[in-house]
This record gives sequence, C-alpha cells and structure tokens, in this order.
Amino acid sequence: MRLYWELARYGFRRTAIYRSAALSGAITNTFFGFLRAYTFIALFQTRGEVGGYVLADALAFTFITQGMAALIALWAWWPIAETVQTGQVASDLSRPYDYQFAWLAQDYGRALFQLVARSVPPFVVGMIAFGITVPTDPLIWLAIIPSIVLAVAVSFGWRFILNLTTFWWIDQRGIANTSMLVATLFSGFLVPLAMWPDGVREVVYALPFASMVAIPIDVFLGKLQGVDLVAALALQAFWAVVLLALGRLVLSAALHKLVVQGG
Amino acid sequence: MSLRDWRPRGPYPPAPSPVRGGGGDGWPAPLPRALGRGVPGRVLPDFTLYAALVRAQVSAQLQYRGSFVVQAVGQFLATFVDFITLVFLFQRFPSIAGWTLGEVAFLYGLGGLAFGISDLLCGGFDGLSKMIRLGTFDRVLTRPVGTFAQVLAGDVQIRRLGRIVQGMVTLGLAVSWVEVAWTAPKVAVLVSAVVAGVVIFTAIWVIGAAITFWTVETSEVTNVFTYGGEALVSYPMPIYAEGLRRFFTFVVPLVFVSYLPALYILEKADPLGLPPVLQLCSPIVAVVFLLVARFCWALGVRHYQGTGS
Repeated sequence: MRLYWELARYGFRRTAIYRSAALSGAITNTFFGFLRAYTFIALFQTRGEVGGYVLADALAFTFITQGMAALIALWAWWPIAETVQTGQVASDLSRPYDYQFAWLAQDYGRALFQLVARSVPPFVVGMIAFGITVPTDPLIWLAIIPSIVLAVAVSFGWRFILNLTTFWWIDQRGIANTSMLVATLFSGFLVPLAMWPDGVREVVYALPFASMVAIPIDVFLGKLQGVDLVAALALQAFWAVVLLALGRLVLSAALHKLVVQGG
Repeated sequence: MSLRDWRPRGPYPPAPSPVRGGGGDGWPAPLPRALGRGVPGRVLPDFTLYAALVRAQVSAQLQYRGSFVVQAVGQFLATFVDFITLVFLFQRFPSIAGWTLGEVAFLYGLGGLAFGISDLLCGGFDGLSKMIRLGTFDRVLTRPVGTFAQVLAGDVQIRRLGRIVQGMVTLGLAVSWVEVAWTAPKVAVLVSAVVAGVVIFTAIWVIGAAITFWTVETSEVTNVFTYGGEALVSYPMPIYAEGLRRFFTFVVPLVFVSYLPALYILEKADPLGLPPVLQLCSPIVAVVFLLVARFCWALGVRHYQGTGS
C-alpha cells in the first residue's frame, strides 16, 4: 500500500515539473471557457430553460468541463504506449508491484495536480467573470469527491486499454484520433447531455464516457438527488470495475504477445 | 555538434552515380539547378525550394497509405464533432444572436476551411520550438535560402487534409441550407475570404513561432489564437463581450476571416455598426497582417542565438 502511495506522489511530482505547461494550459482552457460561455449566454436569450439547465447551470458546466479535460486526461495520455515503444515496459512489468494498480496510483497523483493547476483556476475565473457559484448543499460536496475519484478511475480504465493497443498496433495515432472523438462527444463535454435529443441521451448516459464527465458535473450542479444520485455513483463504480477488469484481460493477452529481445 | 555529424555518411565526396538522390544511398534528391544560386530572401528560388521540399514530404507520407487514410479520416471526424455539437444545440435553441443554424454553419465552414489550410501549411512553425532546442535551426541558417520558406516547408502533414475536407463539407452544407442569391461579387468575396483567412491564420502561426526565438519553449498561448481563433470565428461576433471583439478586430483581425465576409454574402445587418466597406477588405487586412508577421519573424531570426548545445 505504501508503495502505491509513493507512486501516487511520484505521479504528482512528475506532472508538477511542467509548471509552465500547466499555466499555459490553464490559460487556454479558460479562454475556451469564455468563448463557450458567450455562446451559451447568446443561446439562452432565446429560451429560459433547456432540459433542466438554466443559463447559470450552462455557464458552470462550461468552466467545469474546461477544467475536467486535463483532470481526466480526456485528449492525450500515452505514457504507457511510450514505454512499449521504447521497450521500458519490459522492466516495468518485472517490478514487484501490480502493473495496472501502479499506473493507476500514478494517475491519481497526476489527476490531483491537474485538479489544483488546471481545474480550479478556470472555475475561479468563471466565478469572477460570470458570477457562477459553488454548491451550498454539503451533501453535494460529500458526493462530488467519490464521483470525481470514480471518474478518474473510469477514464484511467479506458486509457489503460487504449495504451495497451500499442502492443498490437505500434502507431497509436489512429486510435488516438478515434478515441478522442468518441470520448469528447459521448462524455457530454461539449453539450450537456440534458440538451441531447431524447432517445439518444439515455443510451449515451449509460456508456462509460458519461461517467467521466457528465455524471460528476450533474452531481456538482445538484441535478442528481436521492436515489438518482446513488444510482449515478453506482453506475460510475460499475464502469470503473468493468474497465479495470477488461484492462487486466487485455494486459494478459498483451503479455502473451510480448517478446523481450536481448537481456 | 561535432564536424563528423554534418558530413553525410558514406564516401565524401560521393562517387558520381546516375542513381544518386532518392536511391536510398543517404543522399537527398537533387534540387533544381536554379537553387544553387538562391539568394536569401529572393522569392522565386524560395518558392521552388518550398515546392521541392513539400513534394518530398508528401511522397514520403504516401508510402504509408493505410496510416495516412486512417489519420485523415480521424482528423475529419475529430473536427466534425464540433459541428455535431452545433447541430445539437440548434435542436434546442432556434437561433443565436439572430443567426440560424445554416448561417452559423456558414461561419463555421468558412473559418474551418481557412484554418484547415493554414494548419496544413504551417506545421513547420508549430515545430520551431523543437528545432531551436535541438539546434537544427542552425542548419536552416547556413543554407542559402530564406529561413521563412524553409521553416514553412518543414512539416507539411497531409493527414491534415481531413480538416480541410471537413471545412468544405460544412461550408457546402451551409450553402445548401441558407438561401444565397449568388452573384459574381459574392463568389469573389467568398474565394478571397478563404484566401485571406488562410493568410491571417498563417500570420498568427508565424508570430507565435517568432516569439519562440525569445522564449524557446512554444508558448501554448499561441493555441488561444490559432485553435481558439478557429473556435471564435465559428460564431457571430456580436455574441462576444466588447473587449474581446475589439481585440479580435483591431489587434488580431480575426473578424475578417468569417464574420465580415459572411455579412456581405448572406446580406445580414451588422448590429456592431462596422462600416460596410470593411466587409470587402479581408484581403488587404490579411496582407498587412502578414507583413507584420514577416517583420516579427525577421526580428526573431536576428535575435536568435542558439541554445548552445
């Protein structure tokens, strides 16, 4: 356990080295937040409420999503693929720890840094510029923590599998493009799922991608109460377990394929 | 960098051979004869060199046809996501600032097409930071052709065609959705708007790259003006706050990429009250902005000292 704690700290420090990258990333995230916020402000002049979202919700949604992109590494995260390409993976696999959990621990360290560096600043700017507010209900704060922890686990489970495809397909750019598209669209990153067409929305909500972005946001905005809240957290937990288990299967298949040259 | 590294491998000078160049003997394909007399800054040799370098890259990338197709399709779809978003939003909202879905799609397609072409052309400027860090920019300086053309030709990725196709598809859809009474001047404005948009985005890439001569690291803030700029021009200008609008009119002239030409083509009223003649001025503004960018570039190259490794 202590080992994984150290790995998480290592993941935190490793990400924290790139301070200027984090700063400029946060600036870019915030700028896009502004653009999207103005779009919603103009759209909501034609209607007061859509799918249970009012303008204030949409503005909060905008700045939370901009912050979450880095938190769950929605777009680019290929450190495992790089170790496969360089051969480093062989020595990583022979270390006395659980390979998947070791990466998961590091990913939590990374996510914690991104939460501080990339998620909070855009939101604070949004609070100042657009008057978005934080929830006052303590129950929401109690629920948002496990929801984010699970969102990181689900997204890690997904990214772990994507990275392992490098064992079969050394050039991961095609996979990267496709996964970016799927995750961006179905996570409810661009448009709140509540505004999606009926019929499509329910299906997308059940997919693992909604557990990465849409559910934590709905928890934060207080859209999920009581039984719905518990069910949403359960859905996140379900996908975390399924994707992590699937990742272990893919890993064992990859190990059958791995041939280490030299010695 | 030691002397040994820049010398080509193999016998030096190489034995004359009819298959030299492109024959896998480590030598680059011979460049057109005119290049030998190339003078820095001269337009014509720079252009010939540019064409030769781009041709070489394109044929290299086409060697991996499967990879190219997968990536181009990926680029197409990745940028198409934003458009799907737009369609979803308009299912729930009738219009934005008085613009319908078709009209916004027109802005979106125009901006996307211009940005896509500039993205295809300007990959080299995006990679300048790496050239400076690795010291390969020194090599650029020693060659008898302009630095601008060399860097411009440095990284042309044809997979980015996917983005261009996406812009064209969106623009085509938009034109079929809105009723445009096409006239010759409107067609001319449309074509010149695309060209002007490419030049304006290119100038942004160049200025962003020129800044790296001082900062070494690519300032990711450049993304705000490139990718962010593309997002900005996809929606009608009046939705933005006044400060933002002024900035993107007078400092970085993104308003000329899509909003002003679209007002002319779609015959829409401008609540911002900008002089209508500006709707035709995109090419002039683009050329001026590019000259500013070239000036920044020249300053940057003069300031360049190498990273010392």
